[in-house]
Amino acid sequence: MAWETVIGLEVHVQLLTRSKMFCGCANKFGAPPNTLVCPVCLGLPGALPVPNEQAIRLATQAARALGCTVHTRSIFARKNYFYPDLPKGYQISQFDQPLATGGTIWCESPERGRIGIGVTRLHLEEDAGKSLHDRIPGKTAIDLNRAGTPLVEIVSEPDLRSPAEARAYLTILKQILVYAEVSDCNMEEGSLRVDANISIRRPGDPKLGTKAEVKNMNSFANVERALIVERDRQVALLESGGRVEQVTMLFNAASGTVKPMRSKEESHDYRYFPDPDLPPLVLTQKWIEEQHAALPELPEPKRERFMTRYAITAYDAGVLASERPVADYFEAIVEAGAEAKSAANWVMGEAMSGYNETGRFGVGADRLAKLIGLVKEGVVSLQAAKRVYPELVDRDDDPRAVAERLGLLQVGDAAALGAWVEEVLAANPSEVDRFRGGEAKLMGFFVGQVMKKSGGKADPKAVQPVLVEKLKN
Amino acid sequence: MSAVELIASAVREGRTTAAVAANEVASRLEKTAALNASLNWSAERLEAEAARVDRASPSDRAKMPLAGVPIAVKDNIVTTEQPTTCGSRILEGYVSPFNATVINRLRAAGAVIACKANLDEFAMGSSTEHSAFGRVKHPDDPSRVPGGSSGGSAALVAAGAVPAALGSETGGSVRQPASFCGIVGIKPSYGRVSRYGLVAFGSSLDAVSTFGRSVDDAARVLAAMSGHDPLDATTIAQPPLVLDPPRRDLKGLTFGLPAEYFPRDLHKGVRAGLDRAIKAVKELGGTIKEVSLPHTRYAVPTYYIIAPAEAAANLARYDGVRYGQRRVGPAGDLRALYQATRGQGFGAEVRRRILIGTYVLSSGYYDAYYRKAQQVRALLAEDFRRAFDAGCDMLLTPTTPTPAFKAGEKTEDPVAMYLADIFVCPVNLAGLPAVSVPVGRSEGLPLGAQLIAPNLAEARMLSAAAALEAALDAAAEVR
Amino acid sequence: MSIGRKDVLHVAKLAELAVSEDELPKLTEQLGRIVDYVAQLNEVPAGEQAPPYLAGPDKVTLRPDVVAPVPLARPPADFAPEFAQGLFVVPRLGAMEDQ
Ligand SMILES: [Mg+2]
Ligand SMILES: [Zn+2]
Repeated sequence: MAWETVIGLEVHVQLLTRSKMFCGCANKFGAPPNTLVCPVCLGLPGALPVPNEQAIRLATQAARALGCTVHTRSIFARKNYFYPDLPKGYQISQFDQPLATGGTIWCESPERGRIGIGVTRLHLEEDAGKSLHDRIPGKTAIDLNRAGTPLVEIVSEPDLRSPAEARAYLTILKQILVYAEVSDCNMEEGSLRVDANISIRRPGDPKLGTKAEVKNMNSFANVERALIVERDRQVALLESGGRVEQVTMLFNAASGTVKPMRSKEESHDYRYFPDPDLPPLVLTQKWIEEQHAALPELPEPKRERFMTRYAITAYDAGVLASERPVADYFEAIVEAGAEAKSAANWVMGEAMSGYNETGRFGVGADRLAKLIGLVKEGVVSLQAAKRVYPELVDRDDDPRAVAERLGLLQVGDAAALGAWVEEVLAANPSEVDRFRGGEAKLMGFFVGQVMKKSGGKADPKAVQPVLVEKLKN
Repeated sequence: MSAVELIASAVREGRTTAAVAANEVASRLEKTAALNASLNWSAERLEAEAARVDRASPSDRAKMPLAGVPIAVKDNIVTTEQPTTCGSRILEGYVSPFNATVINRLRAAGAVIACKANLDEFAMGSSTEHSAFGRVKHPDDPSRVPGGSSGGSAALVAAGAVPAALGSETGGSVRQPASFCGIVGIKPSYGRVSRYGLVAFGSSLDAVSTFGRSVDDAARVLAAMSGHDPLDATTIAQPPLVLDPPRRDLKGLTFGLPAEYFPRDLHKGVRAGLDRAIKAVKELGGTIKEVSLPHTRYAVPTYYIIAPAEAAANLARYDGVRYGQRRVGPAGDLRALYQATRGQGFGAEVRRRILIGTYVLSSGYYDAYYRKAQQVRALLAEDFRRAFDAGCDMLLTPTTPTPAFKAGEKTEDPVAMYLADIFVCPVNLAGLPAVSVPVGRSEGLPLGAQLIAPNLAEARMLSAAAALEAALDAAAEVR
Repeated sequence: MSIGRKDVLHVAKLAELAVSEDELPKLTEQLGRIVDYVAQLNEVPAGEQAPPYLAGPDKVTLRPDVVAPVPLARPPADFAPEFAQGLFVVPRLGAMEDQ
């Protein structure tokens, strides 16, 4: 394609505080409408905002986790517009002096490999309430429980060059924020929301094309889909001699299409000015460093540490480090004495499928380490261990006892093995002939057959000498 | 003894009850009804308020600095027991579901909320002619205005209906009517008193302020409600104001006279009133020093950019969605609701200020107006700082350029009305404390002098004001 | 005159204030006078770098993250112009719908 795509993302993330940004109402999802409200978040006459310290702390940690500079002085500003779910007629946000600027998010581009995407700024603001257009016929209904929820808005540089890169960026961003316990980044509940700016230009053109804003995506996959559709729309437009208008497009997930917003608002004039209810937010450098120091190890450094410390592949380290519970589980298994490579395989295999279903690990790290130990010591085969595993989930039984109960302890005894070997040789006379005729590679086949016959109990290392012996005759 | 202390000490010592005081106020409120100064009061409500104080244990009551003291409250301070209208149709019938911090503190101090007081709509005005519930009349001359925007509170105190009242200042709205009505009005340092529950007009300027017939009356009420409030991020982390004992003289104090406040064409009566005050200062042993506040002439234009800009945003919440009066235009959609609710609910002066405020913040004009005004504001504050640094303990100025003017005289000329605040609004821009004290009368109309003090120097300012008050016969004509 | 009819209509729209045709001339004239009056600030040579003046505290005090809302003496249903199913109700949004 002779076009270069340019994408920048604006991500709004709700912070995991107990109370709202500027009032003492609970910050939680799913309460009956308009029950988590007070004079401040209802915008009642006379009410005044007071910022939540924890929100400032989480925003500071988020900013540092994204490599931003956190400023010792920032300003809350009023962003003025009318909308029925915006109680005060303005949103308290930050404008020309945001909390943090200038970070980088490193991610893996499917097209360009490892890329650093600039984070222009991260600022604090309050969420609006919710407008429900389908609840009461012909009317709009307003729930203000969400009004005043603390948000950070994270704005990227227009550094992304494809819809897939946008998705990769979002995946990493979410990983970091969830790791830092700043937000749960649950797109379905609206705790992470994405607006995208996209334009196209000829490669090498230093000037950006006219951009469209794309909104209303409810998953990262849909962000990618919406951007593909919008990019294709712009390409088709320019190639047919048209031009892109500065518009806002709404994505429809059901039809997989974008359409321009009906209201062609003349560009908004938000009349930002410093909020006179809120003196400057002044932080000391020491406090900022303390918040940074309190951050947990983040996915990227953890991945690198896993590679060097445990000598596992970059891929494995990446998977294990992608979520904090997974990484912690992996390390607990190693800590309990399991060999790292085996632990990695188990976590990414058996354990992960359970985790993906239930959100937790059903076998304690200690017992999984024991099971791995049994394989290493040759007490059970790997194949047998995989049959033991499901019996351990959500139970307290000892792995060896389970293996014993299931009759899965490995058999190395030559007499027992000899019986299985003879059965296998008798059942495969032509292979026996071919082996004896010089096809030595058939040994693997025979070992596999014996393992199968034994139900995984046979010790593969002991099987081969017995096979060699019997095949001589 | 001041009226406030007279009632409070009698109630504390059990010589009388809050109910008796409340009863007296009810009859006075009835007698002064023609002023159109009180709003939303009833004898039953007053009784219930007083009963709270009378029910308290004697030992609790003995600790109440304002035990049984009836106080009128400007109707832009929210109370749960009566409507809070801000003098506006848009809030007609609105009853706040929470109390202002100052109300909670005054109640805890034993005060009785006597009534709400009429005001210029949303405190925007200098004459209390801009109320949806009719204009307030000057107690001495019904054809004149009591000043504003806290004209209802001022008229009630001046007419003797209540011993003290709460007003609010954004650009002199307590000192100016205090001067017009011949009473005392105190504006505290910005942040000294909580704004939580004061309906916002110009948030960086607003201050709950007090009226009394004496400095002591107004000061006691101020002290009782002052101090840091965790619900207002702009309050100063300071304990409540502790008043100094009143001074008998002004020895050792230097009073600056800013030349800009004494123009050649100053009203003759006002000039004579100030001459009387200056003479009294000297007789009391104070020193007079000429100073200059060179940016004074820019205060009113600065104020009329910053206050409307903040007001335009502060008044956006009156949209007919969650509370207040809703009107819907013919189109029947949300925009028709907004436009009609706000277009018809706000009066002319409020609409003018919202439009000006929107204009000075709008794209392309912000730097020329709002940013510029912020810079000039800093220069105005710097003027004051220099004067204090040069050895002035406080400044002495006229409060208003003229005595109370006639109703209707300035309603058609907004700029002329704004200039009535020329000597009071610089103080709000700088956030300083100030007090207006009556100094005499000119052709029967009261005159006030203003003391302006450095930030947080209320105690010294008020003790000096009390000395000046004691030395002057405020009822006498000036010559 | 620094401000005209078009400006007045523009800011009236931003401020969501209905302004009727017959009040427009007088309103334009009054606003024009106010704007001309405040424009005299342009005479003041002010340092471009001067930070805005702040009365009151020079930095914001923060609130601990505790759930402790100021209680409402009356629920929203008591003061809302229209309230149903626990929700504030407004007419259809018309042109503002898809924001
Ligand atoms: Mg935002
Ligand atoms: Zn709240």
